Amino acid sequence: MRALVVDDSAVMRKVLIGALGRANITDVDQAADGVEAVSATESQDYDLILMDWNMPNMLGIDAVRKIRENGKTMPIIMVTTEAEKSRVIDALKAGAQNYVIKPFEPATIVTKIQDVLAKAAG
Amino acid sequence: MGMKIEYVNPFIESTYDLFSTMLECKAVRGDIGVGAPKANPRDVMALIGLSGMARGMVTLSFPVETALNMVNRLLSTEISTVDDTVSDAIAEMVNIVAGGAKSKLSGHDRPPIDLSLPTVLRGNSFNVDYPSGSVWLEVPFDSDLGSFTLRVTFDMDDDK
Repeated sequence: MRALVVDDSAVMRKVLIGALGRANITDVDQAADGVEAVSATESQDYDLILMDWNMPNMLGIDAVRKIRENGKTMPIIMVTTEAEKSRVIDALKAGAQNYVIKPFEPATIVTKIQDVLAKAAG
Repeated sequence: MGMKIEYVNPFIESTYDLFSTMLECKAVRGDIGVGAPKANPRDVMALIGLSGMARGMVTLSFPVETALNMVNRLLSTEISTVDDTVSDAIAEMVNIVAGGAKSKLSGHDRPPIDLSLPTVLRGNSFNVDYPSGSVWLEVPFDSDLGSFTLRVTFDMDDDK
């Protein structure tokens, strides 16, 4: 099980890596923007991506669209301060499976991670 | 600017949310006053711009001790000086507070408000100039992790 954490904040990436660890996922790569995220998915297969929205160079939602255009089907959870309903709908239309709004309680994101992985496993 | 005092409430609520969820402690606000941000050698200040139907700025100013306590709580570390990790964390804090507030301000039938990427200022001397006539609302907070100050100035299309 390998995950990719995408956030321009190194601190938030550490927080999310901690949450993945609580879900027993310790094989984790990091990307600091959408461009790095798309590039990472082109050279490595991931079982899960946690994706921020507001990042320099390429927004998270544009990275989700690009990753889906490239035929990748792994679950993607948006983890963002963008809480408006319209943004959630946009993210799901773009191909995200789930959505976590910052700030979050650690247990919340662990549950979401377990949920999307269970659904992906069928 | 048409800065209405009730506009600060979503920012206060977002600050409470940040502390109760990610920092696992309670923040308590003091009396709301008026005061623009200014340099303080003991502070780390993060600021973020709002654009779209609300235009203005939000800042969070943390005494160094509070900033270190917050980061150490968030990451379970024992960092003792303000470094890039601390700046990064403080930037994310203002991002989360502004992000939560903007969704509350936007409502269901308004276009989203856009946020700039956050900026962190630290050091002994700097000047930040604001548009003349800006009214800043200042909200002091206290918490188990230390005191800090939220400041907000913006106007909305509804004001016109």
